[in-house]
Amino acid sequence: MNNTKNTEAERLNFMEKLYLPEIAKGLGLTMKYMFKPKFTRQYPEERFEPTGSYRGRPVLVDTTGGERCVACGLCSRVCPALAIEVQASETEREKERYPVKFEINMLRCIFCGFCEEVCPEEAIVMSKEYDIVFTSQEEAILGKEDLLVPEEQLQDRLEYLAEYK
Amino acid sequence: MNVKTRKAVDSINKARQAKIYAELLDKDTSVLFDDPLKNDMVLNMGPQHPATHGVLRVVLRLDGETIIKCVPELGYLHRGYEKLAENLTYHEFIPHTDRLDYLAPMSNNVAITLAIENALGMESPERAQWIRTLVSELARISSHLMAMGSTCMDVGALTILLWTFVEREKLYDIFEEICGARFTTSYSRIGGIANDINDTVLAKIRKWAEEFPKNLNHFTSLIHRNRIFIDRMAGIGLMPRDKAIELGLTGPTLRGSGVARDLRKDVPYLVYGRLDFDVMTRTEGDVWGRYMVRVDEMSQSLKMVHQILDQMPKGEIRLNEPNVVLPKKSEIYTKMEELISDFMLINFGAAPEKGETYTAIESPKGELGFYIVSDGTGFPWRMKIRSPSTANLQGLSHMAEGSMISDIVAIIGSVDPIMGEADK
Repeated sequence: MNNTKNTEAERLNFMEKLYLPEIAKGLGLTMKYMFKPKFTRQYPEERFEPTGSYRGRPVLVDTTGGERCVACGLCSRVCPALAIEVQASETEREKERYPVKFEINMLRCIFCGFCEEVCPEEAIVMSKEYDIVFTSQEEAILGKEDLLVPEEQLQDRLEYLAEYK
Repeated sequence: MNVKTRKAVDSINKARQAKIYAELLDKDTSVLFDDPLKNDMVLNMGPQHPATHGVLRVVLRLDGETIIKCVPELGYLHRGYEKLAENLTYHEFIPHTDRLDYLAPMSNNVAITLAIENALGMESPERAQWIRTLVSELARISSHLMAMGSTCMDVGALTILLWTFVEREKLYDIFEEICGARFTTSYSRIGGIANDINDTVLAKIRKWAEEFPKNLNHFTSLIHRNRIFIDRMAGIGLMPRDKAIELGLTGPTLRGSGVARDLRKDVPYLVYGRLDFDVMTRTEGDVWGRYMVRVDEMSQSLKMVHQILDQMPKGEIRLNEPNVVLPKKSEIYTKMEELISDFMLINFGAAPEKGETYTAIESPKGELGFYIVSDGTGFPWRMKIRSPSTANLQGLSHMAEGSMISDIVAIIGSVDPIMGEADK
């Protein structure tokens, strides 16, 4: 429906109705912004460094004694996008179970961090990696060797988890 | 010979006409001519039109440049979230709510967790409630900034969109430090929040909140007394007060018509009862009124953010009820009971008692409600999402009919529909 009365326009004073000062004002702003520092980032040269709270690509923590994961399958159960597949087996090490197969389908992963939140062994954590590129669908399904990351590289996140989660 | 004379063709036509008439008389039906003069034009706007804010399709019937009929068609982004919810535990559904109103995911997270807590009959701890209020107010500001920018862009002021995007970017940086993601936050949890906010982030929010009014003034000073902007906004897309109530509009779309309905004031949830703020209304009921309500609400939200930062207490962020709420991570690692309840909770879910509950919050777009029917298991038997954009879009045809074709973009912008939420 159209309102025939434009009350807001009637409240304008003479200078505003003239509109010419507005053009000058606009051009003045353009000049002002030309010399202001830019807000945008020149991405590939200037990289974004996330803090410990960042939820990037989920990875498996790799310690000196192998992976921490005991293949309980809780991450696979909680995953809202059904991206994780785990197959368990037995081993001679101190923790008697280990994952024979641990796959994350990165095309399905929604980076919600639920796998990390429920993990009883602190074995799967969210890393800082955000530029994840694949050239085929098969490549996007990450196996155990792609997922294992040394503990030292994940210190920021592990400290953050210990303090705030 | 297959060629017929003119006379033969005429006679065939006459016979056909007589048959049609006989058929119509026999069935006692009538024929309606929608457009006897044949000067109407049917125009499809969307679903790929940049001004429709997503995948909204609007079918317009035009007489010259005047819209005489407007039919919004929804459903292009339908992903079946209500059905999907039935096959997920309550906890697993939280990330899905990020994708409803994707301009204010924090609000949606708060809404779903409040609904689940209501169904479970419990209340989150004090600090969690304050943090939830804080993040939903920040989400409101970021959503209104986007609404303001896109409305301005729809009527031709592209600069404002770029400026509001910068402010939104700063807010998303804050969200990223709060929860780890800029857009898909998944921050709230049953019985509290996912993780605590540290003091550096709170200081960052305060710093942003102190700078923001200056920037907002800068935005508004450029366009609010601009004659072209006012001519394109004021007096267009009128929605009278009674009609707005009849159609069930909520949020700024309703308050722009002069109805002071705001769930934060009417049904105080979280800590809104303890905060000092005003419900912004405008009496115009046009595009300008709805736009101004959003701009005014940003200042009110900012006022609340300051109050929350001053008053936020320290304390627990999640309830200590291991059979419904996720235990602390350090306790999962060290204690057997917590470990067992972690497994039980994830596998079977927190089960509310048999029954039905409806919980609504005032999201940036209006009343966002979750109607949960529980059958006593960890999965909802039925979850109905009352999304504000769906209801607000019902008013679109009333606003658009009778206005000019060029005004439809301003009208859609003033309703501020988010198709992720409207189509669910």
